[in-house]
Amino acid sequence: MSHQTPLGTSVPHTSCLDLWREKNDQLVRQAKVAQDSGLSLRRQQLAQDALEGFRGLLHSLRGLPAAVPVLPLELTVTCNFITLKASLAQGFTEDQAQDIQQGLERGVPQTRSTFVTFGLLQKEKSRDEVPTSAVCLSSTVLETQKKLGPRLECGLRGLWDSVLHYSTLLLEVLPALHHLAGLQAAIWLSTDCLGDLTFLLQTLNGNQSEASENLLLLLKTWSPPAEESDVPLTLQDARGLRDILLTASAYRQGLQELITGSLPRALSSLQEAASGLCSRPVLVQVYTALGTCLRKMGNPQRALLYLAAALKGGSTCGPPLLEASRLYRQLGNTAAELESLELLVEALNVTHSFEAPQLLIEVELLLPRPHPASPLHCGTQSQAKYLLASRCLQVGRAEDAAEHYLDLLALVLDGSESKFFPPPSPPGPCMPEVFLEAAAALIQAGRAQDALTVCEELLSRTSSLLPKMPQLREDARKGTKESPHCPSWVSATYLLQGQAWVQLGAPKEAISEFSRCLELLFRTTPKDEEQGPASNGEKECISDVALQQLRAAALISRGLQWVTIGQDTKALQDFLLSVQMCPGYQDASFHLLQTLRRMDRRHEATALWWRLKAQTELPQENAAWSLPLYLETYLDWIHSPDRETLLEEFQTSLPEPPDL
Amino acid sequence: PSGALLSAVWLLLGLAGAWGRQVLAAGEGRSLAAPRLDSFPAQVWQLELSAVPGLLYVLCARRGIYCLSPDPKSDGSDRDSEDGELPCALISVDPDACLLPDAALCTFTVVADKLVTLAQGPAHWKVQLFECPRPGEDARPRGQVGEVELSISSPLTGPLGEPTAPRFLPVLRCVSPAGPSTLLSRVQGSGGFLLERALFGLLFGVDASLLESPVILCGLPDGQLCCVVLKTLVTSKLSPGDPKALVKILHHLEEPVVFIGAVKTGSSAQDVGDTHPDCLVALGHDGRVLTIKAGCDEAGTLVPALREYRLPGPVLCAACGGGGRVYHSTTSELCVVDLAQGGVPSGDLGDPPSLLCPAGLGVCSVVTLSVLSEVPEGTRGLLALSTRGRLMTCRLQLSSEVSGPTRAAAASTGQKIKDLLSGIGTVSERLSSLRKAVEQRNKALTCLNEAMNVSCILLSGREGPKPISCTVTTAWSRPQLQDVLTATFWLENSSGLCLDRGWTLCVQVLTSASASDSDMASAATTYTIPVDRLGPGDRREVTLPLGPGEDGVLHLPLTVSCALHYSLREVMGGARAPSESSKDSSDECCPDVLPEQDGISLPLCEHTVDVLWCLRFPGLAPAHTQAPGLLGPLCDPVDTFLGSFLGPRSEPTGPASLRAKFLPPSVATIKVSAELLRAALGDHHSGTSLDCAALQWLLAENAALDVVRARQLSSVQGVAPDGADVHLTVREVAMTDLGAAGPLQTVEIQVQSSSPASLCGTHHAVIGRLQVMVVEQAARIPGPPDLRVQCLQQTYSSHETLLREVQTLRDRLCTEDEATLHATAQRLLQVHRQLRSPSLLLV
Repeated sequence: MSHQTPLGTSVPHTSCLDLWREKNDQLVRQAKVAQDSGLSLRRQQLAQDALEGFRGLLHSLRGLPAAVPVLPLELTVTCNFITLKASLAQGFTEDQAQDIQQGLERGVPQTRSTFVTFGLLQKEKSRDEVPTSAVCLSSTVLETQKKLGPRLECGLRGLWDSVLHYSTLLLEVLPALHHLAGLQAAIWLSTDCLGDLTFLLQTLNGNQSEASENLLLLLKTWSPPAEESDVPLTLQDARGLRDILLTASAYRQGLQELITGSLPRALSSLQEAASGLCSRPVLVQVYTALGTCLRKMGNPQRALLYLAAALKGGSTCGPPLLEASRLYRQLGNTAAELESLELLVEALNVTHSFEAPQLLIEVELLLPRPHPASPLHCGTQSQAKYLLASRCLQVGRAEDAAEHYLDLLALVLDGSESKFFPPPSPPGPCMPEVFLEAAAALIQAGRAQDALTVCEELLSRTSSLLPKMPQLREDARKGTKESPHCPSWVSATYLLQGQAWVQLGAPKEAISEFSRCLELLFRTTPKDEEQGPASNGEKECISDVALQQLRAAALISRGLQWVTIGQDTKALQDFLLSVQMCPGYQDASFHLLQTLRRMDRRHEATALWWRLKAQTELPQENAAWSLPLYLETYLDWIHSPDRETLLEEFQTSLPEPPDL
Repeated sequence: PSGALLSAVWLLLGLAGAWGRQVLAAGEGRSLAAPRLDSFPAQVWQLELSAVPGLLYVLCARRGIYCLSPDPKSDGSDRDSEDGELPCALISVDPDACLLPDAALCTFTVVADKLVTLAQGPAHWKVQLFECPRPGEDARPRGQVGEVELSISSPLTGPLGEPTAPRFLPVLRCVSPAGPSTLLSRVQGSGGFLLERALFGLLFGVDASLLESPVILCGLPDGQLCCVVLKTLVTSKLSPGDPKALVKILHHLEEPVVFIGAVKTGSSAQDVGDTHPDCLVALGHDGRVLTIKAGCDEAGTLVPALREYRLPGPVLCAACGGGGRVYHSTTSELCVVDLAQGGVPSGDLGDPPSLLCPAGLGVCSVVTLSVLSEVPEGTRGLLALSTRGRLMTCRLQLSSEVSGPTRAAAASTGQKIKDLLSGIGTVSERLSSLRKAVEQRNKALTCLNEAMNVSCILLSGREGPKPISCTVTTAWSRPQLQDVLTATFWLENSSGLCLDRGWTLCVQVLTSASASDSDMASAATTYTIPVDRLGPGDRREVTLPLGPGEDGVLHLPLTVSCALHYSLREVMGGARAPSESSKDSSDECCPDVLPEQDGISLPLCEHTVDVLWCLRFPGLAPAHTQAPGLLGPLCDPVDTFLGSFLGPRSEPTGPASLRAKFLPPSVATIKVSAELLRAALGDHHSGTSLDCAALQWLLAENAALDVVRARQLSSVQGVAPDGADVHLTVREVAMTDLGAAGPLQTVEIQVQSSSPASLCGTHHAVIGRLQVMVVEQAARIPGPPDLRVQCLQQTYSSHETLLREVQTLRDRLCTEDEATLHATAQRLLQVHRQLRSPSLLLV
């Protein structure tokens, strides 16, 4: 109260100040009661009421001209208000930044004028210097206030600079100001304004470590002044906030470094985060990230230790299980990999109990929004199921794969009761492809009839979207150049249906399906991609290369069926076409060679043999493109089994090698 | 009973408008026991009834969603059958019934066992998916199962950081693909609708139609129409939905979306069996209609066909029902338009939307509409709620339904002509208002152009007099008992341009702060005088009082600055007016778009009015006109006091001699080198002696200048504004002791007054002018004449000592008591006098 006289401003009556302070303390206690009451509705209401109370209190406090004796209380109420608001909304918004700005703007003139008064009283000779600097400051503050509308951040930075610069003389304001600075740091951390954050921390540390740009170091050096016992109550004290900030920024930094690939630094940052103060779910995340980091650094055993620790940690065991499956895959331990995936599916089946968040600023609030590309993204149960099914198919466990695919389809197609959702299309395959993979797995597992059912289901569900078959035939008869666009997965469905018939031993049906497939495939021209966004928006799930392969596969399949029913001429035609279609694809050539040999067309066979021999001597160009899984599986089926022996046999049967 | 409940569903949906805090559910024309609901804590925005668990969801403004079980308690305690009213059962609204307390919720919908909500965030809309409570279970949110954010272009927060109250609420509807497996009741009961599979697949993708997933359609107040496939709305804390993958924007309506529905147009009726709607309809508030159908391009591929139409707006609410009919309510009429008819013009998207001609039904001010499902054959029923709270059922005979070109009977022809005539009337009205707007805009542009020209000529830094100038003269007048100094401004337009409406002359009078309270900001008064058309060559005279102010003291010097101000508000206001008037009054176009001070301001001149402007010379006045404002002999209390001091014995004397006796006049002199002065005055002094010319120069702005010039005076006796006499004498003297090379020719200006204040004021004014002159002449004069430095040094050192003494005396003045105060003051006066002689010399 010693500044009352020199200031000459109207300071409210002491009892009024006490009243407000009492109100603040009561609201803080109410929020803590809300925190502890488990009943979610009552808790929500209590917390909401407390928030409104703080808002009203702040309103009353701001109704008076700002004065130094009231300032600590006002800043504390602002801090409590922001803390409660952010924790209720589970995130920071621009509102909070504005709240801070308003608090500062009220603080600035006060701290400045007090400072001026101080200066005048303390040193007579400094009379000439202080007012000029004060005038400069006031003009800059006014300018910043004018500019604040659009460029809030820049202005906030300036405000902080001036406030902290002048408030070092006002000891009673300092704790509350540091608390507010902590909240500002939280906002800047959560919005990734690291430049501003570094600047703020440097200013808070008194610029003594100006050279240091290291955020973690700055946070560690920052020690908010200890709160005395007689200050107004706070929901969260500045030191606690500092610890939260330290953990959150260490984790953020570690995750960032993990994604960008600077692994040793990521490891140290993450270890810093793991040693900090955080809740169990966050600890699970940190341990999982550590596991990922160590796996990438080539330390699978240490990674496993961390993952085990993460699994012990708590209810959210999705990410560590997914990470474990990646680890086992890297180690080549297929059984363990599939087992962890199965566990992952189980784990994701459990609904998370709706846990009420704390009414404090927590580490979770300051973490970036999980991105699908993040190593910690584990998706939903159906996504995990899909991963499991496709891995089974890839490693050759066809039976398991078929079962998992059928489970997955049941899961996503089951109408209203379905609790979990299909894989979102960008990272995974689109829904029709999942059906196709299921059909392929069923065929692989020898369940051709089931595969046919799956294919029919797919076609019937999308029938309204497809051009009608009679219409297609009509078009073909009329010979119109323009033909309706048909997605490639429709052709692929016919292809798989044909293969199912092959397995069932019905070559006629198979040939008819393959013909339908080819008919559609040769209509599908890539020019359809120019369709605007207003069209059905279904982007083609398949690349040009895959389309070529699909055509070749269909031709070869039909050729093989012609062979089966003894129509070698037609088979030859198809094999020739497929070789033309896809010259780099050797299986077609081998099938052609075999047919030519069987038909005893030696000249052509010899020419083809030479060509093939030259090709095999060349370094086999690896298929860099990724084919859809169902197509890969399909190509395995029509792979000619013993190429080498065929070549050998042919060579011996040749009369004499022509001289070069 | 569930059957009765189900029939009440439609009524509740019909009531789901912003009606009030009480909700009444009434039976559909039958005497059904109607449950009455207790008061809600705030305005009810939306009602939904989920049929299967039998729960009523109510959205209260800024409170959240309440969940009630509308089964009336059959205790009969609340029955009130005496009045003959329907028996009502009361359902109490418990605060615990609040299912989702969230102030930001704007709308919601129920899809099977899921609750989809749309909440307003500071920079986005948030779609959230919750599990509904099961019947019998405690009404508590069972956890959020999905969340995605819809981004918008403009932020939703107001200036105070609080979300502004939405003027329009968003629309949320659930669309399901029609199919054998879809239960009609399940979808319709929750306010959703079915859509033909081909269109569904086209709009929402293969995945959605393969999964037969319901799709949430959102119509936002900013005009966006977007969709979210419900089954892809993934969630957990670790993986919220990625808006880019989940949200698809179908269209931008560019006006608030008020309704989304679907109709059966039947144009693609190859398969007659399909009775599901095949056309998605969205209505904007201002009457824009969007329809989306499945069409084929030239290659035969299915593509969505978007069309836009216009309806007369503003649309308050709408409903779809029965074939292709869309009912919509404007403020004046409830209209129906049939989109299924061939008469609907087919324009492509991108063409200007064609105007639809709806048929009026003769009902006005309907805020909520619902199409009844259970009506007798051949009719169509509508349930409507008016703004005043009247619930109406309308039965339309299908046979007499309007807008059927095949049934263009004679009776309907008359109606049609009437409609056409009224349509013509509307068009001509609109035309005239548009024409008016264009005219006003042209006028505003012309005004702006002129303002621009005026600014150009005034701001082009040409030498010489400006083409538009303002000159100032001052004079004393006595309108009431008090003397008033008035300034007369002559605004002269010698340019070829015309200052028209919108220009104002701004005169700012800045009072210099008095020396005693330097902290006090100097007071400024601004006068704005509209310049109402000042043509080329015109002059305008404006007279303003300068003082004395309310305290009766004229604080000199005053700074008077004149500027021309052009108000943009004046011009813009004229152009903005028609568009504002065309909108309804509730549509407040914020009037504070232009800040108060916005305009063009062109400075014209600035003058400092000092004592020399205001001196009055009663002795010079012509004999017949007594100079106004001279104080009478007995006005001054000092003189009265001095007179009484002399006693009654002495003969009465004039005030001047009295003062001379008691208060010896103070004198201040300034010497200027004649050479300097001659150079400064230039040719002004030709024909007169230098001293006369100097005096004329000093009194250049005084009203007495002409007399002084005519009589060739070199000395005048005047009266200062405070009534004290001031003697101003100019004479040429030669200074012998200073010049190194002989005597220095100087002009001495002597100010003499009995009042120290007047002396100081006049002295200050004279010095001020000389200062300006010296600064101006410093560049032209080759250099000061040779002076005897020793003499100057001597003067300087003596002044130093005197100044130090002044300082000590002043310090002592503050501390001393009454007794010695007088002596100190005397001494101070003496020292000041000594300081003034030898006088200031300017060379």
